[in-house]
Amino acid sequence: MNIHLDATDRTPKISLITDPLTLTIAGESFPEDVSSFYGQIITTLSSLSSTVKGPLTFELEMIYINSSSIKAFYRIFECLEDYRKAGNIVNVIWKASDDDDIMQELGEDFKDRFQDLLFSIIQEG
Amino acid sequence: MELSQATLLRNTLRSHNVIMAYNGVVSDDLMVSLAGLLKTRLLANKDAKRSKLIFAVFMEGVQNLIWHGEKQEENYGMILITEINDEVVIMCGNRVSREKTHDLRERLNQIKGADKETIRQLYREGMSQASDHEGPGSGLGLLEIARRSSHPISYSFEDVDSENVDFILSATI
Repeated sequence: MNIHLDATDRTPKISLITDPLTLTIAGESFPEDVSSFYGQIITTLSSLSSTVKGPLTFELEMIYINSSSIKAFYRIFECLEDYRKAGNIVNVIWKASDDDDIMQELGEDFKDRFQDLLFSIIQEG
Repeated sequence: MELSQATLLRNTLRSHNVIMAYNGVVSDDLMVSLAGLLKTRLLANKDAKRSKLIFAVFMEGVQNLIWHGEKQEENYGMILITEINDEVVIMCGNRVSREKTHDLRERLNQIKGADKETIRQLYREGMSQASDHEGPGSGLGLLEIARRSSHPISYSFEDVDSENVDFILSATI
């Protein structure tokens, strides 16, 4: 189930490891084809509760997310919300640079949409 | 084009402090190249917060052109960036079919008159609907542009013929 994709100029690093269960997405996101880039991770996450259980940490450290990638991020959060509903703890750690209002606000927007996840937004210098 | 006309064009670009001007087909490759150029230029800018706003508006504007350009193969795309007195204006234009302008006008009208808080609320509502949105976009692009701009967005529709309209969207940061 482990997934590892290295970052490119226009796509983020994505990693999913099982011990401890951690999903990390970091970098820039403006892939040419959003649905094919995020397809694998979304497919894996959508059946997560049938494969594993226990606390999951989702760490994000994004520099830029284009509006069409928001679709994919929203789907990922929906999968994690399903995983929470299956009885697991989900911790979201949204890191944003302290000079980046856009990523801070976007973190707040996702937090607002997914209020049942343990969601912290961390500003980094 | 004659040299004298080139001089006139250059003078116009200079007098409006144009820092980027493009006319032609807007492709994904072009966007990536221009984004790289703009990033390099913005890195020289001391105000990192503002640089990020400029980059985000540019990206959404250009992606709109790629996804909604009516005649991709023809040179109807336009990208224009000017910088005067610490104010950056980003204009993106393309040709759209008249039948599509109705929805676009309605949407722009709604966004233009909205305050920042309303735009943010529309954005949050749009996030939940984004996955149902058809095509490569999310329906959030115009809201993203409006949200990151320091002034309300402005736009123009210019009739070309019975079927086509030239559209320009302008955002100031």
